Amino acid sequence: MHLKVAENDTDERLLVEAAQRDPSCFAELYEQNFDRVYAFIARRVANREEAQDLTAEVFHQALAGIGRFEWRGAPFVAWLLGIAAHVMSAHWQRNPKRQEILAEDLELAGNDGSIERRAMIFQLVESLPEDQRLVVVRRFVEQRSIREIAQEFSRSEGAIKQLQLRALRNLRTRLRSHHEQL
Amino acid sequence: MNSFSIADELEQAVNNVLAGVETAGVNADLEIGDLVSIASELQHLPQPEFKALLKAELTGRTVSDSAILEPGVASRIEIATRVRRETEIPAAILPSLFGTNSDGYPQYQRSMAASLFMHVTALALVVVSGVWAARHPVIKPIVTARMISLADYPLPPSASIAHGGGGGGDHDKLKASMGAPPKFAAEQLTPPVVVMRNLHPMLPVEPTVLGPPDVIFPKMQTGDLYSKLLVPSNGVGFGGGVGDNQGTGVGNGKGPGVGPGSGGGIGGGPYSPGGGVSAPRPIYDPEPEYSDEARHAKFQGDVVLWVVIGPDGTPRDIHVQRSLGMGLDEKAVAAVKNWRFQPAMKDGRAVMVQVSIEVNFRLF
Repeated sequence: MHLKVAENDTDERLLVEAAQRDPSCFAELYEQNFDRVYAFIARRVANREEAQDLTAEVFHQALAGIGRFEWRGAPFVAWLLGIAAHVMSAHWQRNPKRQEILAEDLELAGNDGSIERRAMIFQLVESLPEDQRLVVVRRFVEQRSIREIAQEFSRSEGAIKQLQLRALRNLRTRLRSHHEQL
Repeated sequence: MNSFSIADELEQAVNNVLAGVETAGVNADLEIGDLVSIASELQHLPQPEFKALLKAELTGRTVSDSAILEPGVASRIEIATRVRRETEIPAAILPSLFGTNSDGYPQYQRSMAASLFMHVTALALVVVSGVWAARHPVIKPIVTARMISLADYPLPPSASIAHGGGGGGDHDKLKASMGAPPKFAAEQLTPPVVVMRNLHPMLPVEPTVLGPPDVIFPKMQTGDLYSKLLVPSNGVGFGGGVGDNQGTGVGNGKGPGVGPGSGGGIGGGPYSPGGGVSAPRPIYDPEPEYSDEARHAKFQGDVVLWVVIGPDGTPRDIHVQRSLGMGLDEKAVAAVKNWRFQPAMKDGRAVMVQVSIEVNFRLF
C-alpha cells in the first residue's frame, strides 16, 4: 500500500491534459491529491469543518481553472497547494481570527514531510479492516467516547479499546512499510 | 505489559490528544508514543463521506451514484452538505444556483445559468413591453359621417349661378340647334347666335353668356347642349340669344345664362332639400376607414363632401368641399360612394338633390 500518486510526471501530465479536454477526467487527479490538499489545509486551520470547506473550495477552483494550468515541471499538487494558500488567505481576510501564510511555508508545502505523513495516514485509514476503521472514525472524527462506541456496537469497552489499539498498530505498521518502499 | 494495559494506556493518551493536552514526552513507552503521534494526526481525519461527497460534486454525479459510499452514509452526507452550505450565505439564498447538488439530485451550474438567463430575459420582455405599451397607447379611430345643412357649407358657385339659366332666340322656325354655349363671362356684350343675321357688325365682339368664367364648355358649334336638332337655328324664342324662351343666353330659360331658370349662370341640375323637397335619408352608410398615414401622425379633423343623390338613391358627383389631406379625403369619398339613400321626394316623385356630408375623423 502506498499513497496514490501517478507513476511519474508523464502519467500526471497525461491526466492533467485529459482533465483539460474533459473535466470528467478530473476525478483521478482529485483522488490522487485530495489527502495532500486536505492535510495541508487541516494543519493550518482550527477545526475539521473549516478544513473541509476550504478543501472543497480549492478543488472547485481547480476544476474551474484546470484549463489555465500550464505544465512547467512542478507536480500538479504544487498548483493545488498554491490555490489552497490563496483560498486560506481569502478566508482569513474574511475571518476575524486572521492568520498569515508565510511565503516559506508555501515553498515548503510541496516537500513538507508532516503533510505527506498525515496524508498517508488519512489514506491508510481506508485500508483498515471494517471494524477497526469504524472505531477510528467514531473515536477520532466523531470524537465519541469508548463507552458510546461500545454501546453502539454492543461490545464491551475493553473490546473497543483493543480495536482502537489494533487499528493504530495497523496504521503504524503500514506507514513504516510505505516508508521502506520509498 | 499486556495488551489490555497497553490499550488502557493508549486510551488515556488518546483522551489527552482529543482534549488538546500536550503529550510530547509524557509517554515513556516507545510504542505508545508512536501510536499517540498517529492518533494526533487522526484527530484531523476528514469525515469519510466528505471525500466521496466532494468527488460527487466535482464530477456532477448524484450521491447515490457514488459506489464508494457505505450504506447509511448518504443521509449523513446530506447532513454534512447542508451544514457546509449553510455556512455560505449565497448558497443559503440561492442553493440551486450556486450549489451543484441539492437533496440528492444533480444540479448543473450551466443549466442554472441558462435558466437564470431565460427568466431574466422573460422579465425584461415583460418590463419592456409594459413600458412600450405605456408609451404607445392604443389609438382607436372614430369616424362618423352625417349629412349637414347646406346653409352651413354653401356651394362654391353662388345660388344664382347654380340655379340660374338663360335662353333666347330670334323667332326662328326651328327650335335651337345642338351645340355648346360660348364661354362664360362676368359681363355679356354680345349674345350668342347660331345663325348670324348681321354678317358685318360695326364692332365685332366675341359672344358670351353670363356666368362663372371658370366653367368651360366643350368647343363645338354654338348651340343648346340639350338639343338634338342638327339644322342651325337660333330657336323659337326671342331676345337675341339661342333657345326657345327669352333673353340673351342659351337654353330654355330666361336671361343671359345657360339652361333652365333665369338670371344668368347655369340652370337646371339637382334640387336642394327644403321648399317642398324632402331630404334623402341614408339607408346604408358604412363608416370610412382611417388612413394609416393620418393614424400614425395622430391627425384628425373633418372632411366635408358635396354629393348629389340621384333619384335611385345612389350618390354621384362627389366633390371634396373641405379637405383634410393625409389620405382622409380619399377614404371619405370611397366610403360615401358606397352609401345608399332613400331618395329625396318632390311632389310625390323621387328627384335628384345635392347635399353636403361631413365626415368626422377622431382619435381617442
